[in-house]
Formats: sequence, C-alpha cells, structure tokens
Amino acid sequence: MRWSSKFMAATAALTLTLGTAGFGSAAEVVKIGNIEPLSGPSAAVGIQGQKAREMAVEEINAAGGIKALGGAKLQLLYSDSKGDPTVGVTEAERMINSEKVHLLTGCWNSAVTYPTTQVAERYGIPFIVPVSVRDTITERGFKNIFRIAAKDSWWTRDQFQFLKDMQKEFGTDVKKVAFVYENGDWGTGFAEGWRKLAKAAGFEVVLDEPYPSTASDLTPVVIKLKRAKPDVVFMTSNAADAILLTNTMAEMKVNVKAIISSGGGHADPSFIAAAGKNAEYLFDIVEWETDLNRPGLKATNDKFKAKNGQNLNGESVDAYAAMYLIKDVLERSKSLDPAKIREALAATKLCGGDVGLLAYDCIEFDQTGQNKNASLVVVQLRKNGNSMDRITVWPKNVRRAGYTPVFPQPAK
Amino acid sequence: MLGFIESLLNGILMGSIYGLTAVGLTLIFGVMKVINFAHGSILMVGMYAAYWCVKLTGMNPYLTLLIVVPFLFCFGYALQRYVIKPIFDAEKDVREPITVIIVTTGIWYVLDNLAMIFFGAEYRVVQTSVTGKMIEFHEMYFSVAKLIGGGITLLCGVYLFWFLKHSRTGKAIRATSLDREAATLMGVNQSQIYNIAFGLGSACCGVAACVLIPFYYVYPTVGVPFDIKAFVIVVLGGLGSIPGAILGGIIIGIIETVGAQFMAATWTELLVYGFFLLVLFVKPSGLFGLRQDY
Repeated sequence: MRWSSKFMAATAALTLTLGTAGFGSAAEVVKIGNIEPLSGPSAAVGIQGQKAREMAVEEINAAGGIKALGGAKLQLLYSDSKGDPTVGVTEAERMINSEKVHLLTGCWNSAVTYPTTQVAERYGIPFIVPVSVRDTITERGFKNIFRIAAKDSWWTRDQFQFLKDMQKEFGTDVKKVAFVYENGDWGTGFAEGWRKLAKAAGFEVVLDEPYPSTASDLTPVVIKLKRAKPDVVFMTSNAADAILLTNTMAEMKVNVKAIISSGGGHADPSFIAAAGKNAEYLFDIVEWETDLNRPGLKATNDKFKAKNGQNLNGESVDAYAAMYLIKDVLERSKSLDPAKIREALAATKLCGGDVGLLAYDCIEFDQTGQNKNASLVVVQLRKNGNSMDRITVWPKNVRRAGYTPVFPQPAK
Repeated sequence: MLGFIESLLNGILMGSIYGLTAVGLTLIFGVMKVINFAHGSILMVGMYAAYWCVKLTGMNPYLTLLIVVPFLFCFGYALQRYVIKPIFDAEKDVREPITVIIVTTGIWYVLDNLAMIFFGAEYRVVQTSVTGKMIEFHEMYFSVAKLIGGGITLLCGVYLFWFLKHSRTGKAIRATSLDREAATLMGVNQSQIYNIAFGLGSACCGVAACVLIPFYYVYPTVGVPFDIKAFVIVVLGGLGSIPGAILGGIIIGIIETVGAQFMAATWTELLVYGFFLLVLFVKPSGLFGLRQDY
C-alpha cells in the first residue's frame, strides 16, 4: 500500500510536469523547413549550411527562444534537394503541406532555389534565401522571397567600386582596363557586366579577350595583354588557366597597376601553391573571409571550428545569420501568421550584435526582397613566409587591422 | 611587329614540343597501324616522373632526360609486350585492329585515374634553375626553358629520322611499317619491332615531358590537350611521317600563337581546324604523306 501510493504520486507528478511542458510547447514551436543539397555534388556546402543553422538555433533556444511568442523554440526540419530542381520543388510542397512549416530557407543551388521559391510564393509561405546568386531569383515581383547574399551582377559592380575606392585612397590614375576571361558561361557573363561598368566609369577597354580554358599554351594571350598596356586587368579564370596566365604574366614582365580576379580558379588553394610569389599583390573578390575586422567574428568562428573542425565560410555565415534574422522577425511579428511574418521581414533592419560577423552592418531588404546592404569583400594576396595570405582590404571598414593594401603593385 | 616576331618564335618553340609528342604517335601508328589513345597519358606519366625527379633530388630538369627517357622506353615496351600484344595476337589476321584501339583507350583511363588516386587532382609546378628565366631582346621576351626545350625536341626529331633511315633496327622498323608479311619473311622479328616502336614512341613523350616540366604544370589529365593536338598534327603532317609530324606541330604552334594576335584566342582553334580541313581537302594524305594505303 505504502509503495503503491508513492508510485502513484510519482506518476501523477511526472504526468503533470510532462503534460504542462508538452502543452506549453505544442502551440509554440516555430517550424523552419530547410531545403539544402545534403547529398550529391554540392553536398559539402549544404552540410556547412546545416551545421551553421544548428549552432545558431541552439544558441537562440538556449537563450530562451522567441520571447514575443512566450519563449517558443525554433525547430529545424531538413530535406535533401540533392541539388536537383525537381526534388527541391517536391520537398517544398511536402514541407508546406505535410510538415506545416512556418518558414522556409534554402537552397544554395540557384537552379533549385529558382523553382522552389515559386512554390513558397504560391502558398504565401515566407522563404529566406541565405545564398543563391542568380539575379532573377528576386526579380520576379514575388512578395515572400528574401535573399541575404549578394547577387551575381553585384560581383562585377563591386569589383569596379573597389577599383574606384582604391583610386581615391591612393590617388592613382587608371584609364585603360583589360578583360581576360574564360570563354564559358561564367567568364562571358562577367565580361558582359564589365563592359557596361567600364563604359559608365569612362575607362578605355584596351583588350577584351576570351580564351578557351583548356588551352595548352596561353602565352599568345599574355603577349597581347603586354602590347595592350592596360592599367588594370580584370580576370575570370579556372585553376589551370589562372596558373598559366599568372606565371606567364610575371615571366614576361607584364606591368600593371592591379589585377582584379573573380574568385573561382584564383581562390583555389592549388593556384596559390603553383603560382607562388607570382600571385602576390593580386586582388580577389569573395563573399566573406575569416580575417574580416568584425566584432564577434572571431568568437563565433572559434566556436564553430571547435564544434565542426572547419572555419565558417560565405555559405555558413549567411545560414547562421538567417536563423538570427528569423528570431528578429518573429520577435517583431509576435505571431506565426505568414502574412504577419512577411510584413515583419519586409521591415527588417537587423544590425550588429548577433549578425555582427557579416561583412556589412545591417540586413535590410529592398522591395524585391534583396538584402540591399549585402556586399562582397576584396582580398589581397601577400606572401607570408612560404605561404600566401589572403588579407581582406575592402570595404575599408572590414579591412584587416593594421594592413595597408599595395596599390599600384610594384613593377616586376 | 615586335609582338609578331615574339609570338612567331614562341609558336615555333611550343609547336616543336607538340611535334615531338606527335612523332611518337606517328611512329607507333606507322609501324603497328594502331592509333594509340593512351599517348597523352604516357606523356603524363613522363611529366610526373620528371616532376618527382626534380622535386625530390633537386636535379637539373634536363638531366632528368637520362632517367625519364629510358624509363618511358621501358614503360612503353612493357605496355606493348604485356598489355597490347596479347590482344594484338588475337586479332592477327585483321587488317585494322579495332580492339587494340579500345585497349589503348582503356589504358588512357586507367593511367589518368591512377594518377588521380596517387597524386590527387592538384596542379603541381616545380621550381627549376630555368623556371621563369627570360631573355630580353629589344623589348621582346623569350622563355629560356622554351628555347632549350624547342632545341632539344628538334635535335631528337633529327636523330630519330637519322636512326630510322640508317640504323639496322631503324630499317627493320621501316620495313615492318611498309609491309608486315614481307618483313617477317625477311627475318625481321615482328613482335620485337612492335615493342621497340612502342618504346620509342613513349620515349618521345619522355623527352617532351622533361622539357615541359620547367615551365608547365602537371595534373592527372595534362595529356588530354596535347593528345588532341597530336592527332591533328599526325594527320596534317601525313600518317607515319616524322618530318611531317615535326613540321605539322610547328605549323599548329604558329597558327595558335600568331593567330591569337589578330583575333580572340578562342577563334584560333577554328583557324587550326579550318587549316586542317583545307589540307585534307587538297592533299588527303597529309603534307608529307605517301600516296599509299596503310
């Protein structure tokens, strides 16, 4: 009798606690559906995004969840797009209809994001795109799509803005520019942007040279470049051609004030290994670097590295910021009604603090849903002992503390 | 004008290296009537061999010729003896052994992927005493490594030509390439000649590999662009002709480099293949080809 009454009391107490806890959270869980490439060729980047989301959500939940919703916790649901647009669309339908998610994020591959956001728009579910670069994703007049990262055309825009700022800072005159790019989709797309920007900026284009990425010898291109005598060279290259061009340019003593490249081959570790000191002083444009001079960046990166064994990168930083953006939005919408969330998203001005590690100050969306402050950063390659450092130089507010960029680069 | 001279010489130098690779291909074809699709991969093997020699011992890149060329001769010899010959024997009575061509394609894939497994996909460059050295002449720059490389390949081409013309083995090789049965009846050991021809063809790749190393990078599929060029050059110069291969190589090199001064580099490929088609149209047997049926 004594035993059973004790047992009964314990059971009752347990049921009560569980019951209340269960009751409390049932109504107040925010379901976030994430469609990411977790297998297939872009799996590496999808998994980085997943880890960053998890870290951010853990932090947010540990700090008491969404206070405006009575401490509601964030819950992450994943689906694997495999990098395939058809799978992405089906998964978006499932997330919305079966899982009843409140928000969606994803999908990294522009080809997946493009049709998937269309599904979300049809159901009126807010969709946050941390990274997907294709311009048109936010150019279809959709109401529920919000992108954090910079879009494709901004890369060339920022390359020119960088050049302009450097000219001003160092008082160097630049008149003639040359474009050297691989003749694929990527290179010719960049060249199209450069041509317009050069015209607007009043530069004289002395060479506009596409080349086949598979060429066995690029000396002819370099000879041409040398004769054209440009002040600044813009380049878009894959790894092999970046090595050939950089080494041959150094050997033939092609003297220019600056070389501005577009990531890709120039950001490949084997490029730095093979081009060595010939690559020094090159300017390369990227989304984000670990050495950015931003408050809280180091602590967050260290935490992430201790947890996952790798540094944060452009993709994971935007995924991390997306979770804090969701928190900020829900605190303001005070409701899980999609229309209210959408309204709060459109009115976002999230600055510093939790998203202080971004390369720019505030997340703010324009009418198309594009984060209008999203920027890219420019790094300069500098020799450091036997290796090459990628030092952030632009925008000036994120420049590595104590570093002065070398512009124009010394004559060879 | 300066740009023209600069690119003309550069084209000749680069072209002679293409030419030597093509010589190896044309030699093997001339004797065995087999198109060796693994030729570029053999070049790749040679480049990795030369790369590791220089990287590990720090020796002069041109001294590696003494190691890499014999190594590739043996490599080619063994490849023919133990991999290709059994297939070849099975198809003895066929005039154009198709299966052997497929086998060489298999060797190409196996070698390229083995290199990928062992050495990884990264681009490797080695610093040698001539890397990055340039000769300046009236505002024109010429790469020392390419000058030496062009010289060595031309010498090799001349030596190989002399060897085939005057040495006993060379005569046996030519006899076999002219008429297999007749040569066998005259006491030429046919399969031995095949082995030697394959070895020599591979050794040509060895020379090209050693002279490329000081100014080029190595990666597992480095042979592919050279391979495609070699096929065009061999047909352009005339199948089986050694002077044709060297000259064809130089012509392609000049078109590529000089052409690029007047148009976008992408267009020079069109020029190369346009010229190629024109030659085939006017002289289907190629520049130096004999009017005989191989």
